[in-house]
Amino acid sequence: MIPVSVITGFLGSGKTTLLRAVLRDPAYAGSAVIVNEWGDIGLDHELLETSEENLLGLANGCLCCATRGDLARTLIDLAARRRSGAVTYHRVLIETSGLADPAPILHTLLMDPSIAEDHRVEAVVTVVDALLGAETIARHPEAAQQAMLADRLLLSKTDLAPDTSALEAKLGALNPGAPILRAVQGAIPPDVLFASAARPAAFQHWLDAITTPGARHSAGVETISILREDPLPGVVLPLFLEALAEHAGEKLLRMKGIIRVAEAPEKPAVLHGVRHVLHPIQWLEDWPSADRRSRLVLIGQGIPPWWPARLLEALEEEARV
Amino acid sequence: MAGAAHSAGNPHRARRMNPPALRALLADSLTLWGVAGRVEIADAGVRIIAGDQVLHVMQATPGEAPMRWWLISEARRRPAASMLGLLRSLRYALNATGAEPARARVAAPS
Repeated sequence: MIPVSVITGFLGSGKTTLLRAVLRDPAYAGSAVIVNEWGDIGLDHELLETSEENLLGLANGCLCCATRGDLARTLIDLAARRRSGAVTYHRVLIETSGLADPAPILHTLLMDPSIAEDHRVEAVVTVVDALLGAETIARHPEAAQQAMLADRLLLSKTDLAPDTSALEAKLGALNPGAPILRAVQGAIPPDVLFASAARPAAFQHWLDAITTPGARHSAGVETISILREDPLPGVVLPLFLEALAEHAGEKLLRMKGIIRVAEAPEKPAVLHGVRHVLHPIQWLEDWPSADRRSRLVLIGQGIPPWWPARLLEALEEEARV
Repeated sequence: MAGAAHSAGNPHRARRMNPPALRALLADSLTLWGVAGRVEIADAGVRIIAGDQVLHVMQATPGEAPMRWWLISEARRRPAASMLGLLRSLRYALNATGAEPARARVAAPS
């Protein structure tokens, strides 16, 4: 499986600078890079130092809408060329345009079977300008969306804005589970950014954010946390996920959780979802910490704060009767 | 915090959903679907009033297993084997658009 990571962030946040720094790391120098630029004249790809055959530009449209098909075709073509030996790469890095909504991109990556058979989504990294980020998020819903869907948030230009506490509070409210990292000129080890977001170590930050059940609101976004002491009957999981996707999918921006299943309490089930796209459930060999409660975080807009917990309880009771 | 109820542990629970809990879930569901209406406890279930529609949701009796729920309108009685099916039928009956039946696949732990 070829790991794919998405670098997103608003216009001017520092995505290309980050990508340039990442490609200087020997372990990432041979990555296939897909750059999506908005406008008739693409420049970003000119700034990247990587081999021509491994760099692909998708211009004249935004990856999340006009050129989604291009992304799929590009990845499929790349994988075919890789199989034939025409190109060599071990991972794919996608830089979105500054106005892109990452959700449809993830949808393409996860749901197109011809992509999913060869590729695995590792992490969504959202670059946020430390100086202008708070204002940008307040004024541009695209920027807030990019922050909400991140596995990791990277504050750029922190040398220009020493005090980022207000911005970090805003980001924490939008996406309480995503660790907030800092870098100047993209100086950060790439492995810290792109380690699989589903690994227990990476997941712990999400879990730590769930301290109490309930809902928090910020900028029209609800963060809903569910805590369960009891193991859940396994049959409840697919029913709950189906109901979430069917009834709240359009309003659900992000969902992550770790579930203690009654039939396999020592092997927690990890849940990931973006909108109505639910990743296959992953089963960990062990719990990442001593806390063995089921914990679930949903970030959404317009979801009644107690609906998910009430639904879960109803399904659980059905399973227990 | 009201949510504390959702973290209470009771591994041996074997009770059926009571009408207040059913009312709360269905009222939230109407809100989620953008349906203007109200949900009242009525008889052994709840009554949903939305526009000129009046629907009743009743729990099936143990003898009607595997059915768990009935959605009753003036025209018909629809059974549902789970809350998932009940919500789907209710949303359909209320003409609340946007629902797409989804299939979540769960792989067994290796």
